[in-house]
Amino acid sequence: MVKNPKIICVTGGKGGTGKTLVAVNLATMFKNEGFKTILIDGDSENPNTYLLLGGKLGIRESVPFFKPSINENKCTKCGICADNCVPHALLHVKDSFPVPILAVCSGCKLCFKICPTVAIEPDYKTIGWVYNLNVREIELLVGELKPGEARSASIIEALIEKLEKKVQEGKEEYDVVIIDTAPGAHCDVEELIEKADYVIPVTEPTKFGLSDLVRINELISLLHKDFRVIINRSTLLGYKNQFFNEIKNLNLEILGRIPLHEEVVNSYCIGVPLMEDKKSQEEMGPAYKAFKDIYENVKKWIEI
Amino acid sequence: MDKVVVGIVSGKGGVGKTTLTASIAALASKDHDLNPIILDCDVDAPNLSIILPNNSESQPQTKDAYTTIKASFILEKCVHCKQCIDEHYCEFNAISWDKRNEIPIVDFLKCEGCGACKTLCPEHAFDIHSVKSGEIISYENKFGSLLIYGKTRLGSTTSGKLVSEVKEFAKSSDHYKDSNLTLIDGPPGIGCPVISMLSGINYIIAITEPTPSGLHDLIRILELVKQFQIPFSIVVNKANLKSPFQKKFKKYIKKTKYKILGKIDFDYSIPEAMSYAEPVVTFAPDSPASIEIKKIYKNLKKQLNNF
Repeated sequence: MVKNPKIICVTGGKGGTGKTLVAVNLATMFKNEGFKTILIDGDSENPNTYLLLGGKLGIRESVPFFKPSINENKCTKCGICADNCVPHALLHVKDSFPVPILAVCSGCKLCFKICPTVAIEPDYKTIGWVYNLNVREIELLVGELKPGEARSASIIEALIEKLEKKVQEGKEEYDVVIIDTAPGAHCDVEELIEKADYVIPVTEPTKFGLSDLVRINELISLLHKDFRVIINRSTLLGYKNQFFNEIKNLNLEILGRIPLHEEVVNSYCIGVPLMEDKKSQEEMGPAYKAFKDIYENVKKWIEI
Repeated sequence: MDKVVVGIVSGKGGVGKTTLTASIAALASKDHDLNPIILDCDVDAPNLSIILPNNSESQPQTKDAYTTIKASFILEKCVHCKQCIDEHYCEFNAISWDKRNEIPIVDFLKCEGCGACKTLCPEHAFDIHSVKSGEIISYENKFGSLLIYGKTRLGSTTSGKLVSEVKEFAKSSDHYKDSNLTLIDGPPGIGCPVISMLSGINYIIAITEPTPSGLHDLIRILELVKQFQIPFSIVVNKANLKSPFQKKFKKYIKKTKYKILGKIDFDYSIPEAMSYAEPVVTFAPDSPASIEIKKIYKNLKKQLNNF
């Protein structure tokens, strides 16, 4: 029987709140305790996990995306394909061959399915890549969107498919899957939250952080997921009191608070996760301690 | 200078797009020859309105956007043939089979609105409709300029189209004919919403920070900006960050010879201003950050005179 790993999704709505920082350090702490951990970078527009881990992207697999190809020997220029294409991704002028407009093609393959003379043939273009690598004993799956391409959702699908295949194959018995998402609350983020058992929104104590937290929480609730919040840069003043009052009013559970500290910036910039080194009590900075507490809280929560 | 559109982007989130946009908006609003219109195109997490609220006299106007199409199922027409499932009509796996009732169910979140089910079902038991995908809100902000922003309805899979709609809304507003500058706060990333935002833009400011991810994401967004052949310049935020990455960052900037519009050193007036939700140039006008942003604004105006 295949063992089902615990799937944790780190997200947050607003950009730059520390999603990747949290995902990478959580993965590091699980790895340190001997849990077989796989980290999924689902921010295909800007994948950064491997930078924080100090790794290099290597071998990659292309993510293909459907594009219609018109076989002019078979096409009767009837225009049925264009008439039925809702996003208007096929341009048809009377008595001429239809012209695909790839930028707006949804990939639904309707044209291919309905062409009466089978003149539309499925062709594929590369819209991005999936990488599989190991850094610091953490397995990493990274999705990357090719600049200029818009269908990031297909990269996410390819990532999920790859993950599911790996878990099913059972070559490795994964204990924990940690997913890092893009900012925002769009389809890519939604799809990854959907896959998770536990969701961690990372936010900061500003009006902006709060506003985006409220939105992402709505999305998480819409998907019926269990979630707890991490507050990064928790020492930012100004809006702090109102922020924590609001959190209380919203009845949100907090996994921990990470203070703004030099050790975080430093680890971020040298590509070594803060939690990679085992430190003695005296060597631990405030952010390090915060991460330790968060880790213990996460373990209790997911019962591992 | 005549009706230019300036966009602020970064690739990476949280490096200072909104901070910079809000301050430039506050400065430009006082320039009567510009009469700017400010747009927030980060429709997933629109935050500019928090820092540029409406003035006491103006009433925000809200318009619903219907940029999303979704499929619906018509029970009366269904003959339970199950072809929709067996022949895999839906490439997005949005149609599943309800075994108990012998009918298909359309998953609202997964549906792309492509209309394949509608066309393929022999009984015409599917239809497609425009559904509400978000809102466009506009008002005169406290600095006197018009602010327009979009906000997606969760689960509507439409961010890119809503961005286009926000831009169209700006063009059709009464202010547009007297306005010479449209300033856009962009979404993070390089995907669909950013691509929608970039079309029709005259000038881009790419803001970044001297960290590995800041630079990595800057390179990616510039690749996209270059594909669109839009002139651009760079603002370095947290320029004096105590970062072991500074050397590599500076080397890159030097090597590429990109135009630097300004460098904002880290200064506590910025997080402080943000925590009070004020543009730093009005919250602490004499702080080093504000002085630098005013310089950036002057440099920007020089650049725009070429248009």
